[in-house]
Amino acid sequence: MGKIPPSFRSATLPLTSLKTQTPPPSQFYQFNKPTTKKGGPKQIQPQKPKPPIFTSPSLSHAKRVFDSYLSNSSPLPLDLRHHNALLQSFSHLSTLQDSFAFLHYMSRKNPTVSPDRSTYHILLIQSCSISPSHLQIVNQTIQVMIDNGCPPDHVTLDLAVRSLCSVGRQDDALQLLRELSVKYSPPDSFTFNFIVKHLCKTRALSTVYSFIEEMGELLGLKPDLVTYTILIDNVCNTKNLREATRLLGVLRLSGMKPDAFIYNAIMKGYCVVSNGSEVLGVYKAMKEEGVEPDLVTYNTLIYGLSKVGRVEEARKFLGVMAEMGHFPDTVTYTSLMNGMCRKGEALGALALLGEMEERGCSPNSCTYNTLLHGLCKGKLLEKGLELYELMKSNGMKLESASYATFVRALCREERIAEAYEVFDYAVTSKSLTDVAAYSTLEGTLKWFAKVKEKLHA
Amino acid sequence: MLPQRAKKAITDNPKKLADLIDLANLPSKLREFVGQSQISRLGCFMRVWSYIKTNNLQDANNKNVVNCDEKLRSILLGKHQIELAELPKLIKLHFPKQQK
Repeated sequence: MGKIPPSFRSATLPLTSLKTQTPPPSQFYQFNKPTTKKGGPKQIQPQKPKPPIFTSPSLSHAKRVFDSYLSNSSPLPLDLRHHNALLQSFSHLSTLQDSFAFLHYMSRKNPTVSPDRSTYHILLIQSCSISPSHLQIVNQTIQVMIDNGCPPDHVTLDLAVRSLCSVGRQDDALQLLRELSVKYSPPDSFTFNFIVKHLCKTRALSTVYSFIEEMGELLGLKPDLVTYTILIDNVCNTKNLREATRLLGVLRLSGMKPDAFIYNAIMKGYCVVSNGSEVLGVYKAMKEEGVEPDLVTYNTLIYGLSKVGRVEEARKFLGVMAEMGHFPDTVTYTSLMNGMCRKGEALGALALLGEMEERGCSPNSCTYNTLLHGLCKGKLLEKGLELYELMKSNGMKLESASYATFVRALCREERIAEAYEVFDYAVTSKSLTDVAAYSTLEGTLKWFAKVKEKLHA
Repeated sequence: MLPQRAKKAITDNPKKLADLIDLANLPSKLREFVGQSQISRLGCFMRVWSYIKTNNLQDANNKNVVNCDEKLRSILLGKHQIELAELPKLIKLHFPKQQK
């Protein structure tokens, strides 16, 4: 059975978990960001438990709200954090001009508080996200910052780049980056890596390389381990493993040691191209280099081996990983079940479900879909129906592959009415779009009619 | 890899997709049944199938067979009994291919 049950690919088990873990520093950065930049507004929210302070984008209304805060602010006078919080809520609704006017109004009414860099950052984010977009508007805001004695720093740059990229204006972000970094402050590694990652997603690889080169020449920024992880992950996703190997070489040449994240990305790449021995090879290389494999490594390994049909070996690693202190999770078991189903051992996979539940690991919808797929393929329709009822009672969604296999298995047994019922469930549970669900059903019925004709002929 | 590709072939093929979800002008009989002058092939199928379900038209002994009532007969070639399996095919008859 050479097919990948795509219940697998759509959920991309180890792969998603891998992806979320690959660039840890940027996650750390996101966590870090509010404290450095928007600490005020973030901390103030729990104090005021009425989230929508402003309900209309009208400036006069906002002024009135501010006045009311000013007049009855009982024990605590309004400080900068209040101002920022108010401005931020208002900026979600208003135009940029009104936001500026509001800030001006607040500083005039309450002159003890003067806006600082974080205040202007709120306005900067707003000016990055308005459409129709001109970089000029962003530049104007930055000019205002400079005039008020807050020249842009790396935080400003990071915020601007992120907001511009989030609305799909990569070119503007790059242009701004070039201007600001030469004049004021160069981007830090987080901004740099963010852009690399964003470019990887939206542009050709050559663009990314030329960007990295340009930054190296212009500002002396060197790609770090995270940058390489992003690049390698990207080329592995496009099955370009030769490039991944080359990057690994470049990384070593520049004096860095690949870590578990990089190895995981490469291993995932070999999983994508179904090269079992290379998957194992990466694992061995990790061992040799003294890089500690983590849960993701083992999950990827088991997934890769299962995918190419080396279930027995995959199963052995279940013990190995437990020895190393990583407990097999839902992803691990599902990968293994997938492998067993593909070998036609659907009953074994079902037994594994029991084993996994015994160990306190609860299956998810992907697990059930894999099993359903396997049971239907293995001509164990009754078991499949049982499982389907279980899924239905838990409100789990069907995935397109398991749905298709299930419907086909039902039709083969001439249980058309039940197939229609499954179709209804797929539509009402919103597992699939109406079109996808119907076209599968229609196609299957057509195929069924043909088979029947042949039998009678 | 195959099932995924097969699925893609249908939902990614704009012509086939259009064939399924584009509104079509209906012949008079069908118009009476669905109560509107335009509907897509998919919508029509859903309408007929839910009509069968709400009126309990499936045969009690063999759920795969539908006993048509008068209204259903008028749109399904006047048959008294149809197989559930041939329902999409019968509905397709009302939606001839558009010649361009």
